[in-house]
Amino acid sequence: MEEEPMEETNARIPKRPFWSGAVTIGLVNVPVKLYSMTFDKAFSFRFLHKQDGQPLKYQKVCVKDNAVVPWEDTVKGYEVSKNRFIVFQKEELDAARPQSSQKIRIDKFVDYLSIDPIYFERSYVLTPDKSNEAYSLLLTSLQKTHKAGAGRITLRTKEYPVLLHAYKGAMVLTTLRYAYEISDPNNLEELKRLKEPEKKELDLAVKIINDLSGEFDITEYKDTYEERIRKLIAKKLKGETIVAEKPVKEEAKELMATLQETLNQLKKQ
Amino acid sequence: MTKVEFTNLDKVLYPEANVTKAQVIQHYVRMAPRMLGILKNRPMVLTRFPDGVDKQGFYEKDMPLGTPSWVKTFKKHSESAGREINYIVCNDLDTLVWLANLAALELHMTLSKTDKFEKPDLLVFDADPEPPASIDEVVDVALMLKEKLDDLNLKSYVKTSGKKGLHVLVPIVPEYTFNQTRECVHQIGRHLALESSLVASEVSKPKKPGTVYIDYRQNSHGRTMVCPYSLRATPHATVSMPLDWGDVKKGLKPEEYTLSAVAKSESNPWKGMLENKQKLEKRVD
Repeated sequence: MEEEPMEETNARIPKRPFWSGAVTIGLVNVPVKLYSMTFDKAFSFRFLHKQDGQPLKYQKVCVKDNAVVPWEDTVKGYEVSKNRFIVFQKEELDAARPQSSQKIRIDKFVDYLSIDPIYFERSYVLTPDKSNEAYSLLLTSLQKTHKAGAGRITLRTKEYPVLLHAYKGAMVLTTLRYAYEISDPNNLEELKRLKEPEKKELDLAVKIINDLSGEFDITEYKDTYEERIRKLIAKKLKGETIVAEKPVKEEAKELMATLQETLNQLKKQ
Repeated sequence: MTKVEFTNLDKVLYPEANVTKAQVIQHYVRMAPRMLGILKNRPMVLTRFPDGVDKQGFYEKDMPLGTPSWVKTFKKHSESAGREINYIVCNDLDTLVWLANLAALELHMTLSKTDKFEKPDLLVFDADPEPPASIDEVVDVALMLKEKLDDLNLKSYVKTSGKKGLHVLVPIVPEYTFNQTRECVHQIGRHLALESSLVASEVSKPKKPGTVYIDYRQNSHGRTMVCPYSLRATPHATVSMPLDWGDVKKGLKPEEYTLSAVAKSESNPWKGMLENKQKLEKRVD
């Protein structure tokens, strides 16, 4: 946990690069550093022991005798059917892993807008490493052509399909999901029996859509839970006690309004 | 907004006046800015009516089970209880709201504060009519009393008891014992009784019909009086209401100061009372 709660606006860029290597296009190398750009959630909590506030750790416990099993005594198992496993030694899995090459290999350039966003997974900002010129040249040519480089990267032990594209004056790498990671909606039975709409109804629906059309602005959407938690953290840092407040019932509404009035009055005294 | 977790807000505590617990809490929240100053550091005695005023209520001196840790208490040996008592001390809005949520309809306070518990900072004259005397006679006696106190150069403050009588208070420096303040109040009563046959200054049984008795005995160690703005356990949810002396005149109807009637009141007739600590020396001959 950071010393201070997150700022109201965007999640920040971490201080240290996450990866460094080079974008390779044929024989050309553009050295880059990678920073995380997307964050799954603003806050993460740790579990503590209620009695003494000490952090808790996870242990692997055998389901048969509840004994704690140390790391070196574990292997991985693939569950073929209920409680039947195929066992893999660590070495067997390691041998199957792709080699980490410190390279973002670009195979071809595609029209960025033609790629279905359903494949997009996580985004990383690229910054130039040592040479500014090569980076700038690649960025400017992507901006000019509205194209994105399609290729692959190995992060840790997994290879990902990636897109290299321009975004707000930077080169951004977005990892993509594999085709097998996305299900085809046409496999759902309900969708195979859709009826053609009546023309009159369709015209009306289209009209409604047109009436409600506008520019998309992500800042119109607020994560209210995140905002409340951030405020609570700020209060707790100042040493204020937090009182769990239940949702106010109808008969308590007037009471709460009076309470607020009195609190304001007492503040003035 | 509050540390208190409300319970049974829709419970009716005054069936005849159809007043719910939510309204009782709201009353105390509204009155809090005028109450908290005088309640500060005074041990309290509660009269609780968890099932409403038409059912049996009970006095509570000792802090109830489940009193939250943030509620201030004052530990004192009680002669009458014969043991240590942890009195509730209501120094903030949360405590007041918590008391109201306990259905502590009547709040009573001591005449001295925790830091000088043996030295009261209030004199109280409790004027009560004995039928056929009524509030009209109490008004007459209270005005005589005020005049007497004015002569002694003592500024006094008045409130309805919330029942039939009036309470007259004199804030003083906490330098006298209860024996001294009680004697002082008693003596002033005796003076009035000499001047008017309407006034009874002594305890008598049966009480003398048609008189107004000025009770001095509340000026004693550990005794309490009903707090200003406290509700009473009467069918119509009457309030012990501080008044301007100008309002103490013929036609005063204490029963009209009910929870709903005082909700809109904003004036504070007792403003500056606590800063006006007066000395008693050479005032009583």
